[in-house]
Amino acid sequence: MNPWDIAIANPVLNVLVALSHTLGGSFGFAIIVLTVIVRLITWPLNKRQLRSTKAMQEMQPKIQELQKKYGKNQQKLQQEMMKLYKEAGVNPLGCLWPMLVQFPIWIALYQSIIRALATTPENLLDLAQRLYSWDIVNQAIPLSSQFLGLDLAGQGNIILAIVVGGTMWVQQKMTQAPAVDPRQASTSRIMLLMMPLMFGFLCLSFPAGLGLYWAVSNIIGIVTQYFVTGGWGYLKFQSPFQRAPSQGK
Amino acid sequence: MKQLKALVLALIACLPLMVASCIGVGQAAGGWSGPTVQDGIIYVASRDGGVVAVNSSNGDVLWFYAMVTTSGGGLSCGPTSAPTAIYATPIADGDLVYVATYNGQVLALSTLARRQNLTFPQQRYGEWEWNCPLDGAKSNAIVADLLVSADTIYLSSSNGRVYSLDKEFGDLNWESEILDEVHRKLWTSPVIQGDTLYVSTFDGDIYALSAETGELLDWSFQSEAGFASSPVVYGNTLFLGSFDLYLHAIEIGSSASMWRFPEEEPAGSWFWASPIVNEGIVYAACLDGRLYAIEAETGEELWEFDSESPIVASPVLMDNLLTVIDESGTVHVFDISTEFGNEAEPLKAISIGASVRSSFYAQDGLVYARGEDNWLYVVDIDRGAVSWTFDLNEEEE
Repeated sequence: MNPWDIAIANPVLNVLVALSHTLGGSFGFAIIVLTVIVRLITWPLNKRQLRSTKAMQEMQPKIQELQKKYGKNQQKLQQEMMKLYKEAGVNPLGCLWPMLVQFPIWIALYQSIIRALATTPENLLDLAQRLYSWDIVNQAIPLSSQFLGLDLAGQGNIILAIVVGGTMWVQQKMTQAPAVDPRQASTSRIMLLMMPLMFGFLCLSFPAGLGLYWAVSNIIGIVTQYFVTGGWGYLKFQSPFQRAPSQGK
Repeated sequence: MKQLKALVLALIACLPLMVASCIGVGQAAGGWSGPTVQDGIIYVASRDGGVVAVNSSNGDVLWFYAMVTTSGGGLSCGPTSAPTAIYATPIADGDLVYVATYNGQVLALSTLARRQNLTFPQQRYGEWEWNCPLDGAKSNAIVADLLVSADTIYLSSSNGRVYSLDKEFGDLNWESEILDEVHRKLWTSPVIQGDTLYVSTFDGDIYALSAETGELLDWSFQSEAGFASSPVVYGNTLFLGSFDLYLHAIEIGSSASMWRFPEEEPAGSWFWASPIVNEGIVYAACLDGRLYAIEAETGEELWEFDSESPIVASPVLMDNLLTVIDESGTVHVFDISTEFGNEAEPLKAISIGASVRSSFYAQDGLVYARGEDNWLYVVDIDRGAVSWTFDLNEEEE
């Protein structure tokens, strides 16, 4: 067995199975509880990211001023913006860390869902090699993939895909400041749509259990963001397809 | 216009993912069907959904039949054809070979029609095909071996039901109630004693069914953990492995286990393979790599042997030679006629050089096994070596 399995994949798998047994055999609730646990573990990073977001929001008037002033000189604009970030103690790339930290957990969770729900005989047989000899784990096997009418091992659940995409859009929209430069605004709008669309599509292509993790994780993200940054931020309840008025002209 | 551009760009970005989701459709099917031998002919299902008949004396291929299933493909894929996985070992009976597939089909293949490579099914040769209904379940896959009696075939389906088919025409005699409500997966074979079928489930139940009508009989048994293996009946007792890491002996008609093995600490893994029972001794192989000999009456351990590799397939008894093959591909042969306690030392340990998960066949000093590499291996126990091999991959090309 490789170090990845020993250190990350198998512990996640066994925790999920044990949680499932503790929660009355519900693998769906186990995924939700694991999501909360992951969120708690990554909370210090998330908190820093949220504070950074809040600081960025407060800096927006100054940033827009700089954009107006140095709009034609991109190099100077970047320099001035970095200076501004530095003065405010903000790292614009800081928001990437919580996401990067979650990547291995996503991969481990994806593998765990496939392995734990054992949709094929080979999966079930391979599971034997990965489970710890804890009573709580072995009594839970095999797991049921049904949760609130959702097949956690199944793919192509359109409602879950919409929930994942929608919650991701809301979460991003709350933090994405409107750009002054029209080109930048266009890029921002693309990015705002790209990620939710991509995750929505991934949700259709991967087991619903992983989609459940993303949906719950996004909802927790929205709630914590609301309380830490003190409101809905830049979220305005308008259609993403509605053309925003051009700014900075 | 810009929003439209954004949408188009986003969709273009998603295109590789859509393509990626199609990868895998149409790939090798897998399955761990084992070989069977009748009248000097080896019948074996390959990992790519083919059934091959091979002459056991010279290795010549007598016929080959490929089973292909057509599916609708993934979200962004069109209809595709893919080989069908076969887990159940083919059963040869007279001129017919019965094959059950992972896409829920049971086929009666005529050796005569297949030798002439006629289109399937040739009813004049007794060929038929039966399709298991989905019945609201996710799958109708047939994973467990078929149980063939004088005029009937019994099978378990992943839709949670047991079916009885007429052996001659493939007509449905009866279908049972859904026996595995939670998982809807019956991956274990029924076992028959007299006119009663016994079926173990992942839900942790054992049901007794009338072999004649499929009706549930009065007795059933419920365990906290699901059952991993098919039951074996010996006298009035069922022996089977559970996911709780124990082998259980359950007296038919009783509501409690007669004994469970090991007595105290659980085994290192599941008793996945069905045990075999001979002269009051249960031989049980475990995924922890151990083979146990257990007193059937008391559950007392007589001896154990550690192969150091998981044992997936059930042991096979050939006269006084007990044979097991571990997953690493080592054939261990034990002489169980020895009276004074050295049964635990294998007479021979022969490596075939390939991983083995499939059930295997042993007859006349030869062991027939299909490796996970999709090769057929014939092992000569006397010589202590692989006698000959056959590449099942070549047949499909």
